[in-house]
Amino acid sequence: MLFKKDLSLLVLILVVGTIVAIINPRFLSLINIANTANLIGLFGMFSIGMAFVIITGGIELSVGSMFALLGVIFIDLLVNHGMSWPLAMLLMILAGTALGWLHGYLVTDMRLQPFVVTLCGLLIYRGIARYYTNDGTAGFEFGMNFPALEWLTTGRAFGVVPHSFIVFILLAVIMGIVLHKSVFGRYLFAVGKNEEAARYSGIRTHRIIIAAYVISGALCGLSAIYLAMYTRSISPASHGSFYELYAIAAAVLGGCSLRGGEGSILGVVLGAILLQVLQNLVNLLGIPSSLNFAVIGGVILIGVLADQQIVRRREQLKLAKT
Amino acid sequence: MALLELSNISKHFGAIHAVNDVSLSLQAGEVTGLMGDNGAGKSTLVKMIAGNFRPSHGTMRMAGAELILHRPVDARRHGIEIVHQDLALCDNLTAAANVFLGRELRIGFGPFGILDYAAMYKRAGQIFAELKSETRPRDLVKQMSGGQRQAVAIARTMLSQARIVLMDEPTAAISVRQVAEVLNLIRHLRDQGLAVILISHRMPDVFSVADRVIVMRRGRKVADKRIAESSPEEVTGLITGAIEQA
Repeated sequence: MLFKKDLSLLVLILVVGTIVAIINPRFLSLINIANTANLIGLFGMFSIGMAFVIITGGIELSVGSMFALLGVIFIDLLVNHGMSWPLAMLLMILAGTALGWLHGYLVTDMRLQPFVVTLCGLLIYRGIARYYTNDGTAGFEFGMNFPALEWLTTGRAFGVVPHSFIVFILLAVIMGIVLHKSVFGRYLFAVGKNEEAARYSGIRTHRIIIAAYVISGALCGLSAIYLAMYTRSISPASHGSFYELYAIAAAVLGGCSLRGGEGSILGVVLGAILLQVLQNLVNLLGIPSSLNFAVIGGVILIGVLADQQIVRRREQLKLAKT
Repeated sequence: MALLELSNISKHFGAIHAVNDVSLSLQAGEVTGLMGDNGAGKSTLVKMIAGNFRPSHGTMRMAGAELILHRPVDARRHGIEIVHQDLALCDNLTAAANVFLGRELRIGFGPFGILDYAAMYKRAGQIFAELKSETRPRDLVKQMSGGQRQAVAIARTMLSQARIVLMDEPTAAISVRQVAEVLNLIRHLRDQGLAVILISHRMPDVFSVADRVIVMRRGRKVADKRIAESSPEEVTGLITGAIEQA
């Protein structure tokens, strides 16, 4: 059942891709595919983290604001404090992890609703980011170069395959094994579906839930760095705005139920790919970019509806046979 | 020596005395029916034995040694297994996954262990066959009937060498044919030398499978007799209060 959903998502991607390629063959040009792959990598990285949180039945709305906050701090550390970039990178990932732990703690031990906790995070982190830069833009000074860091984050293997995409696929493989093959992954699904039953079975449910938020936070920290190096300048009032919706959309398209207990990494990967292909579609088909979100939302809605109808039809056929 | 001995066990939730000064002892190879009206304290008593609650007063002894349980997992380690009233299953997982929940079989060691799906499916299949249940290990629990879900919950108790099995209303929501299956399972467990506590509202079930019956009313034990020495009428009277004690 799980793979059938992923299969229908793959079919949708191929259909959309084919339509775009026919209308505008530039879609298939190497440079376009490479650019799209870069965006898939950038947005996909934190979508994986979001999937873990959604599977526990929670939600993480502060992702975009974390990009703003961690991004401005990262650039500030590099530019104004001359910190070595590996150290700054490590600090940002640790900061993301710490924030994730805080969210998890508030949700489990303080028994707050994930929506509320992360909504406050969304507001607070962006506010702090704006205060940090006095509402100004954080950026690299003219001529400032970090060759190794840039190679890592914005480089392309063989001049074509973006490193962000490679990192994304690597993360997807590792997290896929964690989610679907490890004991922790199974506990995540159990806790997301029936926390009481999981607790009765001896599972330490609070630890599992906190771990999900910590994973999301760490991946956010990593993504913040990649996004900062991609845009090279961050306006904290708007950087990363609404990015959490991309992550949630990718996760939901990929089969994560917002009620918890369901999802797959392959689905999230395909969801992230579909979203960027749709974005690319808007650009290449000459659709006004103002309709960007409308097109994405429309295709997602049609896709989810179609999927549901197909499932219903299949169940009716199954009932008819028995 | 009694397998499990409860002495003056009480549980208070603030002003509510859910269980009041209950003493009982369980022997191996014996099925004890635990009956009483709603709110009598049966589930609370059994949850204390299973480690979900700590008694407010009193002591528990298992095979002579004092038994202190902080969490359900401690009870499991002592060989005490429970089938909850709501079965405590995760609908989104397979039957095998639910059976092994919290006790997964792994390949590899330490934090790098991965799930041994094949071994778990195989073992779960063996247990279901032993229970003469039609449940298939790879099926998702949410697609199962009540009797099959019951089999999954009962199969959980057969994973490790259990010594005591507690069953809270195992026949409450299943069909007539499946009730017979569950009662057979209980006899099977008894024949293996386990002590079984069966909480049930259904008089015919208790009288068909139990060796002893304990009746609770308003948190207190009002009767502890061999089934052969009692009758459904007497037990009904004890439950409702028509008969004070027996």
